[in-house]
Amino acid sequence: MMIQYIGIYTIFVLGINLVNGYLGIFSLAHAGIMAIGGYVSSLCSMYFFKESWMFPLSLLIGGGTACLAGMLLAIPSFKVRGDYLAIITLGFSLIIKSALQNIEFVGAARGLRPIPNYTDLIVVYVCVILSILAVKAFIDSKYGRSLLAIREDQVASELVSVDVRKIKFVAFSFSSFLIGISGALLCHLLSYTNPNAFGYTTIVDGLIMVYLGGIASISGSIIGAAAWEILVQSLRTIGTWRWVGGGFILVLVMIFLPKGICGNKEITIKGIREFILKAAAMIRRKGERGKEGSYGQ
Amino acid sequence: MDSETVIMFKDVCMYFGGLKAIEKLSFSVEKGRIFGIIGPNGAGKTTVFNVLSGVYIPTAGEVYFKDQLLNKMPAHKITGSGIARTFQNIRLFNDMSVLDNMKVARYGHIQYGVVGTLLNTKKKRQEENEIEKDCMEVLEFLGLSSYAGSKAGALPYGLQRRVEIARALSCKPEVLLLDEPAAGMNPAEIDDLNKLIMKIRDHYRLTILLVEHQMRLVMNICDEILVVNFGQKMIVGKPEEIRNNQEVLEAYLGKRN
Repeated sequence: MMIQYIGIYTIFVLGINLVNGYLGIFSLAHAGIMAIGGYVSSLCSMYFFKESWMFPLSLLIGGGTACLAGMLLAIPSFKVRGDYLAIITLGFSLIIKSALQNIEFVGAARGLRPIPNYTDLIVVYVCVILSILAVKAFIDSKYGRSLLAIREDQVASELVSVDVRKIKFVAFSFSSFLIGISGALLCHLLSYTNPNAFGYTTIVDGLIMVYLGGIASISGSIIGAAAWEILVQSLRTIGTWRWVGGGFILVLVMIFLPKGICGNKEITIKGIREFILKAAAMIRRKGERGKEGSYGQ
Repeated sequence: MDSETVIMFKDVCMYFGGLKAIEKLSFSVEKGRIFGIIGPNGAGKTTVFNVLSGVYIPTAGEVYFKDQLLNKMPAHKITGSGIARTFQNIRLFNDMSVLDNMKVARYGHIQYGVVGTLLNTKKKRQEENEIEKDCMEVLEFLGLSSYAGSKAGALPYGLQRRVEIARALSCKPEVLLLDEPAAGMNPAEIDDLNKLIMKIRDHYRLTILLVEHQMRLVMNICDEILVVNFGQKMIVGKPEEIRNNQEVLEAYLGKRN
């Protein structure tokens, strides 16, 4: 179960990272987007696609609806920046949550149940791998470069021919699509959902995973999701105190690794090989120095 | 040299509230020229560039690039259609490598779309390779190829200026706007820059507009010079004419009693 959680949150964090990390816009809309993805796909599975092989369809519809919501959210980001955009996106999340709490059709505060339990390990990890590949391809393209450029200097990017509005639009929709998919997977894993699952806790959890793992990094997203999930689950034995413990560890990480575990960096096979070679060389040198020392005596 | 007009300002006004940064400014620049814009501080030189590159929308008047009206075009389209610029205060993407800075500037010329990107198609990879090769060529031409992998923000000031010019060239412009490229340079460096600008103009067959305070540079390389004062055109002419013009001297140094 935890392995599946980690996979789902990896997709979630990848989505958040596209906007909050690469694009550098502090958005708090992810809880609302996740709720949209989760609810829409759950409703699809409950009423239209009742066979398990149709699950990809309801996943895609959930993701697609979330994607549309993301497109809407991109519009305020053209004009508004910084704290004000954070407030707007926070408002979005809260509106979605209270709307779900009050619409009788989706079960209001009781939520939806039973949602067919279609999510399993294979589905989750197929989605994870596809998302990682897609995000990687996206980042290594003109879009990825433009995201980073906009994060650094929006006016300068515009004046080297980057279509800032289009890039924001694309980034928000792609990000929301991924977050929507993660929401859909989560609902189909738990077999039930209610509006409270997409409240402040989700917003905060998402942010923690992004900033713990490291912004603007795919490996960071995976590490962040895994680390926070493992931490929270393994501290379960100490009850409510786990939030204190988890928070404390988070503070420590932020003090010693202010950019997150691998902010703006990627862990690659090449990087690992170089690291190992460097370490080996260092050990060898140490060994030689040790020998010289003994000769000296 | 043919006398095709590339840039034309027609009675352009740019007001910020009550401040008249540019007032009824008209001039035109011919293809292949190096056109200098000088004037005392606050005369509206940089505003001319900002209007031309689409940062500001002029209050009145018309700005043409060849026969295109630029007035309401968004900035990225103007750059994409062939007008690239550098900045008075260097505005590189500091956390990105020099090569990535160059690649960002190719945005307007890249064909592949979202679908191609997500599927990582062969066309996309081919195009990316070409871009990398092209950008390296530009860097090579400006003697920057050994810095391709360094972070732009970590380079010394003079090199950053050079990278900015390289990045502007990477947009494949026809017109290059240089905003005080010699600011903070010593005479030897200015002479280098002088040669560099000529070299760039000849190699890429560009038209260059130059806002500059360093008379040493302006007088040496400009074919024509526009003097602005209080947002208005004072005089357009060859460097020799400007040097000996009484009005220009007065604008810079004040009236002799």
